[in-house]
Amino acid sequence: MATVLETPTGTTPTVTPARQGFWRNLWRVLRRKPTRLAGSLIVALFVAMGVIGPFLYPANLPIDAGNAYAGPSGSHLLGTDFQGTDVLALLVTGSRYVLVAAVIAAACTVVVGTGIGLYAGYRRGGPDSVLMRITDFIITIPGLPLLLVLSTLWKYSNPLTMGLVLGVTGWGSVARAVRSQTLSLRERGFIEAARGLGLSTAHVVRKELLPNVAPYVAMNLLISVTVYIYLEVGLFFLGVLPFNENNWGVMINQAVQNGVTQTGQGLSYLLSPLVAILLLTLGIVLLVDAMDEVFNPRLRED
Amino acid sequence: MTDPDSSGAAIEARGIVKSFRARGDVLAGHTVHALRGVDFSIPAGGAASFIGESGCGKTTLGRILAGLESFDSGSLSLGGVPLAELSPRKRSPHFRRVQMIHQDPYSALNPTRTVDAILRDPLALRARQTGRPRAWIDARAREVLDLVGLDPGYVLPRFPHQLSGGMRQRVVIARALTVDPAALVADEAVSMIDVSLRLGILNLLRELRSTLGVSVLFITHDVATARYIGADGELYVIYRGQIIEHGPTETVVADPVHPYTQCLLSAIPVLHGIEQPGADRLTPTEPLDESQPEDGCLFAARCPFATEKCRAERPELGHLGDTVQEHACFYPQRRSVVATPVAGS
Amino acid sequence: MVAATQATANAAATAPPAVAVRDLTIVYKTPAGELPAVSNVDLYLPAGTITGLVGESGSGKSTLALALLNAVQKPGRIATGSIDVEGLGNLVELPAKRLQEARGGEIGYVFQAAQNSLNPLKTVGKQLLDLGRSHGVKDRAGLVRSARQLLARMGMDAARVLDSYQHELSGGMRQRVGIMFALVLNAHVLVLDEPTTALDMISQANVLSIVRAVHAERGLTTLVVTHDIGVVAEVAEHIAVMYGGVLVEQGPTEDVLRAPKHPYTRALINAIPRVSGDPSVARPLPGRPPTLETIPKRGCVFRERCAVYAERNLPECVTEQPPMLPVADGPGRLVACHAVGTKESVR
Repeated sequence: MATVLETPTGTTPTVTPARQGFWRNLWRVLRRKPTRLAGSLIVALFVAMGVIGPFLYPANLPIDAGNAYAGPSGSHLLGTDFQGTDVLALLVTGSRYVLVAAVIAAACTVVVGTGIGLYAGYRRGGPDSVLMRITDFIITIPGLPLLLVLSTLWKYSNPLTMGLVLGVTGWGSVARAVRSQTLSLRERGFIEAARGLGLSTAHVVRKELLPNVAPYVAMNLLISVTVYIYLEVGLFFLGVLPFNENNWGVMINQAVQNGVTQTGQGLSYLLSPLVAILLLTLGIVLLVDAMDEVFNPRLRED
Repeated sequence: MTDPDSSGAAIEARGIVKSFRARGDVLAGHTVHALRGVDFSIPAGGAASFIGESGCGKTTLGRILAGLESFDSGSLSLGGVPLAELSPRKRSPHFRRVQMIHQDPYSALNPTRTVDAILRDPLALRARQTGRPRAWIDARAREVLDLVGLDPGYVLPRFPHQLSGGMRQRVVIARALTVDPAALVADEAVSMIDVSLRLGILNLLRELRSTLGVSVLFITHDVATARYIGADGELYVIYRGQIIEHGPTETVVADPVHPYTQCLLSAIPVLHGIEQPGADRLTPTEPLDESQPEDGCLFAARCPFATEKCRAERPELGHLGDTVQEHACFYPQRRSVVATPVAGS
Repeated sequence: MVAATQATANAAATAPPAVAVRDLTIVYKTPAGELPAVSNVDLYLPAGTITGLVGESGSGKSTLALALLNAVQKPGRIATGSIDVEGLGNLVELPAKRLQEARGGEIGYVFQAAQNSLNPLKTVGKQLLDLGRSHGVKDRAGLVRSARQLLARMGMDAARVLDSYQHELSGGMRQRVGIMFALVLNAHVLVLDEPTTALDMISQANVLSIVRAVHAERGLTTLVVTHDIGVVAEVAEHIAVMYGGVLVEQGPTEDVLRAPKHPYTRALINAIPRVSGDPSVARPLPGRPPTLETIPKRGCVFRERCAVYAERNLPECVTEQPPMLPVADGPGRLVACHAVGTKESVR
C-alpha cells in the first residue's frame, strides 16, 4: 500500500452534522469582534420588538389628550404624539408591519434571484438567455410607480402582500450578480469533477454552487431588509400608500402633517421612528461583517 | 442504470479532430485547430504520456478522453464500446470510467465542504445505483483514503484549505477512485505540488496501476515526470494538435528523431555537477506564434533544419529511416540532446 | 554551463558583497504569537554573481526575497538583522523615500507569476510611464528608449509589446516584460521570484538564457528564488538551500549538487525524477514541509524528515539549531547540520 503520511498534531475537528455546526460556528464568528455582537444584539432587540411588542400593548392605545406633543418624560419615555398617545407604544406596535414586510420582501428577492441566477449561470445556453431576458425586464420595471399603481387595487393592510409585491419586483439585480458568480465558479475544477462523477445538476447547484455564493446571498439578504424598510417607510411617509394602521412610516407622515417640522413641538414623535430605522440599519450593517466569515471555511480559525 | 464492466478497459481513439472558434471580432473570428486527426490507444492498465508546449493540444486531448469536451470528428471507444454512436446520456456512464485529475488540487475541491462530504456524494450515488447499504459508504470512503495513503481519521473532518497541496491531490485521486475508474487522466497533476512531495503522488499513480489495473494517462510538459510514471508505456509528443513522435517512452526519450522532440528534451534543465548536457542540444529558431503557417510541416517555421520540402508538404506519422518509434519528419536524425549522468554520481 | 570563470569567482571572493544579509529574522503575527518565517539568516551575494535560493513552500524564501526590498507586509515584520546593499546601506534603516527610489532604481524585483503583477487595465507602455513618474524620471523618452532596447534584447517586438495589454502576451512574454520593468531604471541588483513557474520547458529555457545574458551584460548581482533545483543548476553559480526559515546549505552550485552535505539537500536532489539513468533511483521524502505553525521551535527544523537523524538520533538535533559552518570540501561551502563533520557523511 502507499506510504501513509504522518498526521500532524493539532486539534482534530469532529465530523459534526451540518446544522449543529452552523450555529456553533455562527456564535464563534460573532464573538470574535465586539461590533458584531453589538450588531446582533440590536437586531435581536428589533426582532423581539416586532414579534412580542404588539402583545405588550392593548389593541387601542390609550390617549392622554391633555398631553399632546409632549417631550420625553418619566411617564412617556419618548414623548407623545398629536393625540397624546405614547410614542414608545406607537414605535413598538408599528414595528411589526414594517419588519415583516421587509423580511418577506428580502427573502422573496433573494430566494428567487439566487435560484434563477444559479440555474441560468450553470446551465448557460437557451435557459440562460430566456431567464436573463426576463431578469432584464424585471430590472427595468420601475418598482415605485408599479407599487403606486397597484395600491389602487390593493390595500396593503397585510404586510405579506406588501412584502411579496416589493420582492417580486426587486430580484433582478440579485439574479444578475449571482449569475456572474456562478459563471466564474463553474470553471473551477470541482464543478467539472462533480459532473464527471455523474452527480446531477440539482446536486451541483444545491451542494456545490450554493455554498460558494452563500456569503454574497447572506449579505444581500441583510442589506435588502434595510433597503426595503426605507422603501416602505418612504412610501408611507409620502402618503401615497393608504393605511389604516400605525407603522413607522405612518408616524413620520403624521408628524409632518401635524406640523412638527414647523412648530418644533413633539420632535421626539418625528425623530423616534427615524432613529429606530437608523439603529436597525446600523445593527444589520455590523452583522453583515460576520457573514463572509460564517460561510467561508477558509476564514474560520480552528 | 447498470454499470459497464468494472475491470480495466482499453481506450482507443482514431482521427480525433477538434477545433475551437477563437475569440476575434464577430465577423472575423478564426478557428484554432486544437487537434488535427490524432490516433491514440492505451491498453487496460497501461501508461501513456503526452508531452508538448503550452497550447499544443495535449490538455484538449485529455479532456476529450475524459468526456469533458466533445470532438468534431473521429472515433473514440472505451473498453471496446464505440462512443460516438451513443447518445450523450448513454455516454456518461462510460466516461465516468475515465476520471480527470486536474493540475490545481485546490480548485478541484469545493472549499466549503469537508473531505467527508466530498467523498460521500459520489459514493451515495453509487450506493443507490448498485443497491448497497449506507454502511458501505463509510467503509468505502475509508478504503479509498487508505488506497491513496491518507489517514481517514485525520482527513475526513477537514476542509481542503486545512490540508497541504500533496494531501489535497491525494483526496482528488481518492474521489476519482470512488467510481472505480478504468483510467485516470492526470493533467499536470504534480506541477503545483512541492518538489519533495511530487514523487509521492507519482508513486501513488504507479501503485494504482499495479494494484487496481487502472490505466494512467499523464499529460505534462515535464518529460522527466512523464518518464517516471510511464517508463514501460508509450510517449506521445504533440505539436500544434498533431502527434509528431510516438513510441515506447524510453526510446523516444533516449533516441528522439524529430527536431521538435529534440528541442523539448534540450530545454530540460541540466543538473550540472551530476549531469552533463547532451552534445547536440537544439532550440527552436523562433518562439511559437499562432500566425505561423499551416501548409507543410507545422514545425517548419521554427525548425533549424527545415527545407523547402518541409514547408510545402506535411509529413505523415511513419517509420521513415527505420526508426523504432513513429514520427512525422522527412529528415529524422538521431541527436544526443538529453542530459546524461556524470560518471560516479 | 557558462558560469563565472575562475577569475571572476576569485575576484568576487575578495570584493565586498553587493548584498549582505546578516542575522535576519522575519516574524509573522499569528493568533499563536509571533512566529519566525525566516530565522537568523546570513546570506552574502558577491557582486556580479548569480545565486539561486532553493526552497519549498514554507521555507521562507519568498519572504526573504521580499525583504531585499524591505517590502515585507504586515502581519510580517523584520525582527532583527540587517540587509546591506552596496550603495544604499542598511535597507532596514533607510528612510521611506529613499527606499521607494531604491525599489526599481537600485534593486529590481521580478514578481512571482509576472502575469499577476502587471496591471490588466493598462498597456505595458503606460505602466512604464507610471513607473517613470513614480521614480521622478525626467527623461521619459530616454526611459522608453531603454525599455525598447531591453525588450529587443530579449527577443521581442518592442513596439508591439509596449502597446499590448497583459492578456495579449504569452506567459513567457509577460515574464520578460517583468524583467524589463525590473531593469529599466538601471538597477544593479536583480531579484527574481519564481521566474519560470507556469512556463513550459522551452519558454523556461528561453527566459533563463535571457537572465544569464542580461546578468552578464549589465554586470548585475542576481538572486533567483525558486523551488526548482533544475532552474538553479542552469542559471546560478551559487546555490543556497532553505528549509523551515533556515538556510541549511550554501556553496557553488556544481559542488553542492555533486556532493550535497545536508540531508535535506541530498534528499531533495534524490526526490527529483530525472530524464536519464535508472528511473527507480528517485526516492520520495517522508512527511511534508513545515508551515509557520509547525516549524519546530527547538532543535533542527529538518529533524522530523531527516534520514540521518532517523538513523543516528544525535541528541544535539533535538536541542539546538545547528550553526552554519564552513566545510572543508571546498571554498564557500557552508552547511548547518550537526551530523556533518562528525563522521563520514551517510550516502
